[in-house]
Amino acid sequence: MTRYGMVVDTARCIGCMNCSVACKQENNLPKDVWWNRVLTIGGEDIDTPDGDFPNNTLDFISINCQHCENPACVKVCPVGATYKDPETGIVRQDYDKCIGCRMCMAACPYTGVRSFNWEEPKYHIDIATGDADVPKHQKHVVEKCTFCYQRIARGEEPACMELCIGRARFWGDFDDPNSEVSKLIREREYQQLLPEQGTKPSVYYLV
Amino acid sequence: MSENNQATTSPQAPAAAFGGKGLNIAIVVAAVVTVAGIGLWVMQLSGGLVQTNMRNLDSWGLYITMFMFLVGLSAGGLIISSVPRAFGMEGFGGISKVAVWTSICCTVLAIGFVVVDLGQPARLWELFAYSNLGSPLMWDIIVLAVYLILSIVYLWATLRAEAGKVSQVALRVVSVFALVCAVLVHSVTAWIFGLQQAHELWYTALLAPWFVSSALVCGTALVLVVVIALRKAGYLDVAQTNIVKMAKMLGAFVCVDLYFFGCDLLTSAFPAGSGADQVAMLVSGPLAPFFWIEIIGCALAAVVCFVPKLRTNPLLIVASLLAIIGILCKRVQLLVGGFQIPNIDYAGPMTSLTVTDWTGGMTGAYQGMVYTPSALEFGVMLGVIGLGVLLLLVGLKFLPLRPPISEDVR
Repeated sequence: MTRYGMVVDTARCIGCMNCSVACKQENNLPKDVWWNRVLTIGGEDIDTPDGDFPNNTLDFISINCQHCENPACVKVCPVGATYKDPETGIVRQDYDKCIGCRMCMAACPYTGVRSFNWEEPKYHIDIATGDADVPKHQKHVVEKCTFCYQRIARGEEPACMELCIGRARFWGDFDDPNSEVSKLIREREYQQLLPEQGTKPSVYYLV
Repeated sequence: MSENNQATTSPQAPAAAFGGKGLNIAIVVAAVVTVAGIGLWVMQLSGGLVQTNMRNLDSWGLYITMFMFLVGLSAGGLIISSVPRAFGMEGFGGISKVAVWTSICCTVLAIGFVVVDLGQPARLWELFAYSNLGSPLMWDIIVLAVYLILSIVYLWATLRAEAGKVSQVALRVVSVFALVCAVLVHSVTAWIFGLQQAHELWYTALLAPWFVSSALVCGTALVLVVVIALRKAGYLDVAQTNIVKMAKMLGAFVCVDLYFFGCDLLTSAFPAGSGADQVAMLVSGPLAPFFWIEIIGCALAAVVCFVPKLRTNPLLIVASLLAIIGILCKRVQLLVGGFQIPNIDYAGPMTSLTVTDWTGGMTGAYQGMVYTPSALEFGVMLGVIGLGVLLLLVGLKFLPLRPPISEDVR
């Protein structure tokens, strides 16, 4: 079995948002849609530090679909449009099946990782960007990070891995004890998002 | 009165003191509102749900609020008419059929609100082709469908029993099934929310029984309003003792509902952890107006129902309306409140699709209510309600729902 997942070293993340842009470009994301967002831990706005001067900290966390082992979204989808791929452990979304009830958005504890196309997808430029194998975006369906399934299928890594200038992102198979990601979570201290929700995310954050 | 008797045996018999011009005008108005609503719905589908105020972080809104509310409203009629029959007790005097008919109309409305909320209503058939039987939403669709069919069968069986074509035993069996289904339908609707650990406000085992009690409150109140109004309009005759009996029931249901609310608030607030934030949001936060309208409205309704001197018809109508509005406020608290406290509230990129009021960032979005409906949503809502009123009135005009004169309602 394979359980693909990500490790993000928050100590190395500088909040440049290149991973967000890589994702947006690769997946030809419509205007105003972001599957991978870099959030600022602390201040009230992006890039504002936490705490009172001079004891300030500035940290970032990139959040995309956590591709949970126990996904809340998969359980509630009435038609099975969101489902777990048994081969890869990736939580996938079938745009053609989605009835747009948004039950999965209500069930997912990770605020904002699921995104609904509230209108006919619009784009900043007239030509499609990124991968030719990306399924066409549809109006009134839910979508989210696919771990760049089209790239995984070709044996490549997700697009967000490639542009990270801090080399903070790692990709691999958690079921393989010798993979880089398995080693990282064995050797380094890590956190997961909302562990109390019991969803067992496949994204780990090194601290 | 002989006209009344006839009406039960012959559906064609014209209504005597009821109906006529006023009813016809009302039917036409309801039809026009329905058609206008359908027009707005088509507009919503072609222009996109972006015309509503629902967004990624508040992905359900007025439609799902109304869905919860109408599932609740549908309870009263069926329960009021089936409980006495199922348990072999004395009933409420001939209102049974009208009560079931209001139930059926509310169920149709509830389904209507789910349909207008869907992004892809043309794919509804997939619910039957690719059913994921593990999804609470799927459970609800199944139970709602069974509930609707059972209500119709129950109404039909009641009519046939009056004509002597169906035995009282068979009718009683149907009424037991309808009753069980009514309790199920509210529980399952609650589980759409109550099984989602992602929203602390929703995730409580109390939610299902609480939905049943809320349904009993607004359902009984609706039947009271309809029956008093129909009596005034000369459609049917109901003894005041039966009205009083229903009013007492309403009072009791209101108390149970408030008791559940109290239990839930105490359990959430006592550890003084994150649950206390949920309570603060309701009691003194952005949802406070809805909270206090519910609490005060329901308390007043209970007082009217319990104090014999206050049980006059106008005051009973006011009390019933207060109870209905109170439960509607409860639905708003549940739905908007579920989205009001995000699990992850760090600042990040915001776009017009992130949250209703996105320009002020994450902090700005949650300052007031995270979601308020758009004009289009209110328009579509009115259209759906128009459809319900249309159904109700057409039923009153053409279906033999009046009590038979010699009725021995059991």
